[in-house]
Amino acid sequence: MTALTKQQRASITLVTGVIGADTHIVGNRILSMALEKEGFNIVTLGALTPAEDFIKAAIETAADAILVSSLYGQGELDCRGFRDMCIEAGLDDIVLYVGGNLVVGKQAWEEVETRFTDMGFDRAFPPGTRTPDVVEKLDTDFQSKVSGTA
Amino acid sequence: MVALPQLDADDIPFSAARIDVDVFDIMRAKNLARWPTGAEVDIEEAAAFHKSLPKHKRLGWVMRQADAEGRCLTQPRGGFGTLELQKELMICLDQQGQADIVPTTTDSYTRNEQWENAARGIEESKKAGRSMLNGYPMVNYGPKVTRQLIEAIDKPAIVLSGTSMPKLTCEIGFAAGYSGYLGSGLAYTSSYTKSLSIEQGIRNYQYLDRLAAMYSDHGVELHRRQPGFLTGTNIPPCIAILTCIIDALLAAGQGVKNYGLELGQTMHLVQDAAAIKMARVLTQEYLQQQGYHDVFTPVTSLHWMGAWPHDEAQCEALVAYGGTLAAIGGAVSVTTKSSHEAFGIPTPEANAAGLRSTRMAVYLARQIRLDALPEFETECDMIAKEVRPIMDKILEMGDGDVAIGTIHACEAGVMDIPWSPSNYMKSRVMPARDIDGYLRMFDCGDMPMDPDVMEFHHERVRKRAEHENVSFDHELAVASVYELSENLEKLIPFPWAEK
Repeated sequence: MTALTKQQRASITLVTGVIGADTHIVGNRILSMALEKEGFNIVTLGALTPAEDFIKAAIETAADAILVSSLYGQGELDCRGFRDMCIEAGLDDIVLYVGGNLVVGKQAWEEVETRFTDMGFDRAFPPGTRTPDVVEKLDTDFQSKVSGTA
Repeated sequence: MVALPQLDADDIPFSAARIDVDVFDIMRAKNLARWPTGAEVDIEEAAAFHKSLPKHKRLGWVMRQADAEGRCLTQPRGGFGTLELQKELMICLDQQGQADIVPTTTDSYTRNEQWENAARGIEESKKAGRSMLNGYPMVNYGPKVTRQLIEAIDKPAIVLSGTSMPKLTCEIGFAAGYSGYLGSGLAYTSSYTKSLSIEQGIRNYQYLDRLAAMYSDHGVELHRRQPGFLTGTNIPPCIAILTCIIDALLAAGQGVKNYGLELGQTMHLVQDAAAIKMARVLTQEYLQQQGYHDVFTPVTSLHWMGAWPHDEAQCEALVAYGGTLAAIGGAVSVTTKSSHEAFGIPTPEANAAGLRSTRMAVYLARQIRLDALPEFETECDMIAKEVRPIMDKILEMGDGDVAIGTIHACEAGVMDIPWSPSNYMKSRVMPARDIDGYLRMFDCGDMPMDPDVMEFHHERVRKRAEHENVSFDHELAVASVYELSENLEKLIPFPWAEK
């Protein structure tokens, strides 16, 4: 896998935000700032964002991916049915990432990851993920999209 | 004044003035009708219950007594999604953790007044056999059922509900028998909401404070407390203390006499001790200036509120050292975390272990104080020089009314906090750690800081940039967010290893 150029990344629109009743904005803001600096087109929804608002923003901006953050433990409830809502809204192929402290308490990451991929997220990121890891995965997942236009 | 039955209480002019009792009665009736359990609230019955409790289960008395005896009490956080889980947790924290104050954290749906969602969370938790909520849904259970929690422990209990919308939860909590309640208008609205105005948040907490004062009228002194930890991310002492002063003045305006001030630890021994001392000194200074001569303002110190390391051993150091910082700093209580912090909500056992580590550290701190240390005095002076011009400006912007001044000051960025999710804060102020580990302001945004003060801050942070050979820019602020969560190989490697 080769990293995408900033020019290639500029054609990729990402929606970021913190889902549900969660106010933990710091990591999400740092992630959004870093992704923007790396060249991606970022739509930031900030803290306390209902699932519907992610989807609405994705439609309005013709986004390629939605990056959902959750730090407060209730992400498991907030993210239920997220993929179905996307499909209902006509976003069948949109890439979905989720990351943070996704469940209540310290649980085995493999189980948590499976729980979220079963829900329809393409990737789940464990607590403490740093921004370069996210950039690398985005570059991988969008290779085919940009290869035609590169 | 005559009753005004037509009045929508939220339409009363916004100010720091005490809410008139007739208006407050209308507000309460409307508030309590919002969820069925509101009908269970009976302030006469609740006051009688509070008075029937032994003194050591009443936080108002406990905080005063601890202050008089020079103690540093321990208190964790903790909340689970069902009554049964919550009861087990509180008993564990009381007994295994030897907590001096036992908490009930509410879940985030409750905090945001999404009681239907909270009801779903209770059902899902019961089905799953584990908590699907990050706290106890107090409003759904109501005061009668929740009182079982007070009866299950032998310590005073406090409600922890990080929200700008505490109006129904506080009614339920006080009626259930909780004698402490954390939260305030400026601090929580600027740190826990996105689209709620600061004015509305302050109004909501004026309700809570007015209710606490109403309990005083019934002979029950409750402990109210201000969450100066704010966004929990590198809050320089001066900013925390400004919010302590503002929220304390607002509470005093409603008649509160027992008002705790919270400060998140910077994790620097000298800076934290200076912050603890100056929070009380400066808050008292402004309370006196505004004519409030009998408000008790003990300080609570909070274990590190920023990002935690993933290594449990490293976490244990932050926990124990946090006990040391609180006790040597002279805090009346310390709010604890655990080695599970990086992963979210701890198990009851891990939470209890965090309490015991802290307790041992408090014991070892004895009566050691830093008062004569020149560096401590320098920091105290610096905090005073940072706080006074801004606080004076805030009061001036409200023509002496702290509520109005605060709204204007937030709009203008005169009052600002770092990393705020709120659309009503400029959030331009940017903290960073300096060469010696103190939290400084890399950028004070639009806060009218004295130029000498900012020169000092810049000089210290610039020294760090030079030392680490990085540029003097916002990356320093971002690096400071992560610093204490980095692994030891990065923070302090073996210095003489061959490459």
